Amino acid sequence: MTRPLPSTVVSDLAEIVGHEHVITDPERLLVYESDGLTAYRRPPRAVVLPSSTEEISAVVELLHSNGIEVIPRGAGTGLSGGALTTPEGVIVGTARMNRILKIDVENRLAIAQPGVINARLTEATNPYGLYYAPDPSSQSTCTLGGNVAENSGGPHCLKYGVTARYVTGLTVVLAGGRIVQLGGVGRDPYSTLDLVGLFVGSEGCFGIATEIEIRLLPITEGVRTLLGIFESVESAGRAVTKIMASGLMPAAVEIVDGPTIEAVEASVFAAGYPLEAGAALVIEFDGTEAGLDLDADRAEKCCLEEGAIEVQRATDPEHRVKLWRARKKAFGAMGRIAPDLLVQDATVPRTKLPEVLAGIDDIGNRYGLKIANVFHAGDGNLHPNILFDRQNQNELELVELASKEIMQLCVDAGGTITGEHGVGVDKREYMTLVHGPAELEAMAAAKRVFDPASLFNPGKVLPDVEGEGTTKSEKILAMGE
Amino acid sequence: MKGTPAYEALGQALDAQRERLLPCVHCGFCLPACPTYNRLGNEADSPRGRLHLMQAVVEGRLEPSSEAFRTHIDRCLGCRACEPVCPSGVEYGTLLELARETATQAVPPGLPTRFLLKVLGTPVLRIPFFFIGRLLRGTGFAALGATVLPSYGPFRAVRLGLAMLASTRRWQPMDSKESMTGIADSGSLDISQKSRVAVLLGCVQEGLFRRINSATVRVLEANGYEVVTVEGQDCCGALHAHGGDLESARTLARSNIRAFEASGADLIAVNAAGCGATMKDYGILLEEDPDFAQRAKEVASSVRDVSEILDSSGLRTGASVPCKIAYDHPCHLLHAQGVEHAPITVLKAVPDAEVHVVAGAEECCGGAGIYGITHPELGGLIGGDKVSAVRACSADAVATPNPGCMMQIGAGLRLEASNEGVIHPVELLDESYRRAGFYRAGGAE
Amino acid sequence: MRVDLTDSLSSLLPKEAFGFSVPSSLPAALRTDVETIIAPGSVEEVAMLLQWASERGVGVVPIGTGGHTYPRCPSDPFIVLTTSRLNEIQHYEPADLTMTAGAGVLIRDLATEMAIHGQWLPFDPPDVRNRTLGGLVATGLSGPLWAGYGQLRNHVLGATIVCGDGQTLRLGGKVVKNVAGFDILKPMVGSRGELAIITSATVRIFPLPVVDRLLVLEAADISELVPTARAIATAPIMPASVSLRATSNRSRLLVRLHGAQVSVDSDQKSLEKHTSVSFEVRDSPEDQSLMLEERGGGMNTELAVRVWALPSRIDALLDVLKQVPGASLNADVYGGSVRAYLPEQISDIESSLTGLQKDIEELGGTMRALQIPAEVNASAYFTKPLADEGELASGLKRAFDPQSILWGIG
Repeated sequence: MTRPLPSTVVSDLAEIVGHEHVITDPERLLVYESDGLTAYRRPPRAVVLPSSTEEISAVVELLHSNGIEVIPRGAGTGLSGGALTTPEGVIVGTARMNRILKIDVENRLAIAQPGVINARLTEATNPYGLYYAPDPSSQSTCTLGGNVAENSGGPHCLKYGVTARYVTGLTVVLAGGRIVQLGGVGRDPYSTLDLVGLFVGSEGCFGIATEIEIRLLPITEGVRTLLGIFESVESAGRAVTKIMASGLMPAAVEIVDGPTIEAVEASVFAAGYPLEAGAALVIEFDGTEAGLDLDADRAEKCCLEEGAIEVQRATDPEHRVKLWRARKKAFGAMGRIAPDLLVQDATVPRTKLPEVLAGIDDIGNRYGLKIANVFHAGDGNLHPNILFDRQNQNELELVELASKEIMQLCVDAGGTITGEHGVGVDKREYMTLVHGPAELEAMAAAKRVFDPASLFNPGKVLPDVEGEGTTKSEKILAMGE
Repeated sequence: MKGTPAYEALGQALDAQRERLLPCVHCGFCLPACPTYNRLGNEADSPRGRLHLMQAVVEGRLEPSSEAFRTHIDRCLGCRACEPVCPSGVEYGTLLELARETATQAVPPGLPTRFLLKVLGTPVLRIPFFFIGRLLRGTGFAALGATVLPSYGPFRAVRLGLAMLASTRRWQPMDSKESMTGIADSGSLDISQKSRVAVLLGCVQEGLFRRINSATVRVLEANGYEVVTVEGQDCCGALHAHGGDLESARTLARSNIRAFEASGADLIAVNAAGCGATMKDYGILLEEDPDFAQRAKEVASSVRDVSEILDSSGLRTGASVPCKIAYDHPCHLLHAQGVEHAPITVLKAVPDAEVHVVAGAEECCGGAGIYGITHPELGGLIGGDKVSAVRACSADAVATPNPGCMMQIGAGLRLEASNEGVIHPVELLDESYRRAGFYRAGGAE
Repeated sequence: MRVDLTDSLSSLLPKEAFGFSVPSSLPAALRTDVETIIAPGSVEEVAMLLQWASERGVGVVPIGTGGHTYPRCPSDPFIVLTTSRLNEIQHYEPADLTMTAGAGVLIRDLATEMAIHGQWLPFDPPDVRNRTLGGLVATGLSGPLWAGYGQLRNHVLGATIVCGDGQTLRLGGKVVKNVAGFDILKPMVGSRGELAIITSATVRIFPLPVVDRLLVLEAADISELVPTARAIATAPIMPASVSLRATSNRSRLLVRLHGAQVSVDSDQKSLEKHTSVSFEVRDSPEDQSLMLEERGGGMNTELAVRVWALPSRIDALLDVLKQVPGASLNADVYGGSVRAYLPEQISDIESSLTGLQKDIEELGGTMRALQIPAEVNASAYFTKPLADEGELASGLKRAFDPQSILWGIG
């Protein structure tokens, strides 16, 4: 049972943000009990929705001085439970801080509030011939603050890099409500350590970013998109290896496997893939118009050499959307073929992809679970989607065991446990697969520098000593209380 | 109260929708499409949040009588902009109607809503109701009231209502003194190829916008369609369904199904987006009715927006009507029916009509039944943004194929003392045909 | 290093770790009493050494090839540690586009190995080929090629480090996308020897461009080239790098274009159209390295500063810097920073530097000394961090080097 906030704290919060932006009614708090990872749910004690850096600072100061944990939340689309509250936590949401404060065209910089939707930044800067490169699949709804917290990627990060590459400065609210400036273009970067780089990817555990300085890129002259249909993931994977080894630098390389195509074809988004399709490969090149057809020709050749059933090339923007459809609708289509879904996010060296995929297939068979894979083939970042029904107690346990095996498989292949979704609560138990006690202690020490009292998003990222050995199903059931 | 037969029935209603709720994977793609979430930033005012509340009711974690449930379900405009962007294809519109039914059974809606739904669904009450409305409009009383009444307290709702009424006047350039009927010249059209079409007259449309219904019949005939009369047709039940009174909606649906079956029409032309959406969903509305389920599906499959029919077979070109038109998408045409280009094609078929789609046309105008009266502040914000976008076009008139939207935008323009006209796209086409001499004079309008 | 320390260490480390001569490039202050420097041959040896040092409060000055200025002289006792024996290429998978190598590997040796497979590291800070991998990562320097390829910090995928207390940490991994935990690898890049000693690093590598074309525009005064330079920096084409070089008698705008032949040709045309300028093309590697040499006119000096401002203000920065007679300037147009090599003969170095610093700060820029002659008090010319940033950085210093024994280049 969630303990309500003391009424003095509630009224003080209302003074800061306005009473309509403090939510304490347990029924209204139900909608904040999960983020994008619905396996976990717990309603917070309250939700506060500030509209400025000063309000966030005052709210954090108030809550921290009362020893109350602060759980930052953006659009709540995260897939690792990063915005899940602790039993004592209050969610501070940035949804109302949705203004782009400045676009400096000459210097190719923008300053935005954390609640600005990723895609809206690109929309706003397009008229100036600029755009924001990191494009997570949820970009139409996820917010920049969340992108900073998770160091988000996306299909085009293969060529253009992840969020950390584009955040050049931050205004952050730290423990106790302290407002601090970090970095900033035009300043000597060596006057201090790369604190901006440390903050990006800190999953809301170091503080709340309230103003984000962002580097923009010029829109490229042209783009070419190809869709290759293969009989198997293996052959698609070999085509990718060939393409990357040839010195080409595609902007995005994505693969969806047979079960995923099945799910898409069974849904309202059916794209008319042939029945023999065992894998679909999307490749995109961008840059100077003059060189693009050459790149596309070479990639097409690689696909055909590896046995592609067909290779389509987009002839106009609408066609391009169509070619991307299976990849973009994959997650949603899964929702239609199974009541529950667990999405994983491991990354392996690209050359190890074929063996890892075969391994995942084997794990699925042994546990009797259907696993559909969607992945950023260019950089080895896999998203195995495990389909199940939580109503079956048994299945929950199998999912947990299969998950763990998949993680181990990826780590053994020289990979890591999360490429872009973050650790959150979901992957804490796997941290020991890739980090020793010394590394975990070093991370804890870094956290203490920013948040000594651990009042920002506790219980995330670093594994608890006591938490060891709890199964995911136990966690899910526990969270349900 | 939990445990009572009424509660059990409620639980079952939504429980039966567990299948419809399951596809929601909580991805949040619907959030940026939602007018209320964009303005309030509160998850409970987003489609995902509302679905979560519905799920909580189904799971028994939340009472349907809960104030939280009712407030946030009520606050939804029902614009269904969330549906096209949902990667899982969640049928939000249907779920909303069921949630409203659940909520209104737990706590009945206020008097204004009950009164309005009663009147609209009963011809004997409806006809005098709209007669009074036309009287207030024709005498200029509505316009006067909209201008002089203050905007606070109880006056606000009255002022808005009168403004909406006053805005339903015909736009002057369309003001033909001649009454017209029938086609003088069907040109070189081959009538035998075209379908027989029945036209839904509707309740508000026929009551306040009869000219649009007449124009609809005329332009269909001018394009070679045979328009058949439909005895015994009624209000389509949209407002009842949107408001959660599904039983009344079903009763009305059955009347209409019988009437349209009897008419022998191949297609049913609807010139009100809200009505078109509801009629296309008659199959879902009556899916539990063994006698009507199949019939409902068949009738529903023959429903088209009038612009869809006109666009499908090549539009006849009439005479020039030079004007600048701002076009706004009704939510129930764009999102609910997926019809985007057809009404614009109808407008562009008029020589010398310059057509601009309003910026942000995909966002709701805030009309949504009597939303402006039940949610004055939020409705005012959303409506105000729409009016600003319309005015930014500096057009002569705004065209939108839905009476509710016409009145909402029209009221907003009037209250800002802005004098754009408000029309339905077929009115412009009709005027173009009139000027071209396609019609015979004489007969009732 | 004093004899008593050598005795203590010789029981700890094998004899191969001793007997290295001090690089002459190392500042004089660090060479006093130092006859040899320690060169551990493995991570374990580095860890033992640092543990030994932190237990005794002995300072450790980490160097690669020793080419950087050390602004502060550590108090006695201290030892100098070089990573030059940590010089193995540990893992190189061309198909994965990643390489792991010891900190002591010279960049030019890495480049030779990668070139065999048609790959390279696109980082071009001054004199990069003679630097070590560890030095590159520890200083976090990028060079103008960051415009086309991104800064070094984005391409360091992992590193093994030894903290001030001798704790060994393996950070990051070998994969290009990794968010498993807080990214403490990021502050290590560019930590300049203050937090830990980097013993090996994994970097992302790139395919060599098919064509590497250098476009050159000359003028008498650097300011004449600024409008064209800024036009290129804001053009829809992204060159691989855009820089300006100036000596007292000649200035050049240098634009590098990478890609396939047709792309590079098209880019050149687009830039010429955009700027209404016709460039000279230098395609031969010899020509290019001449043009791209860091210090124009082969200038040899111990006095250099670097200034930063918003890229759009580069004209103002150059106006101030070119006032110093005999200055050789090297500007990264995309990043808005300029390196200025100043003749040591300028009268009253301290007041000149102070004056420069003041002028730069008035423009809204910042200045840092890169190299200072030994007799000048250098610390005044290193930019101070903002108060809060400094506090956080000190917190990290305390976490990773609790006994404060590491003396880096600050």
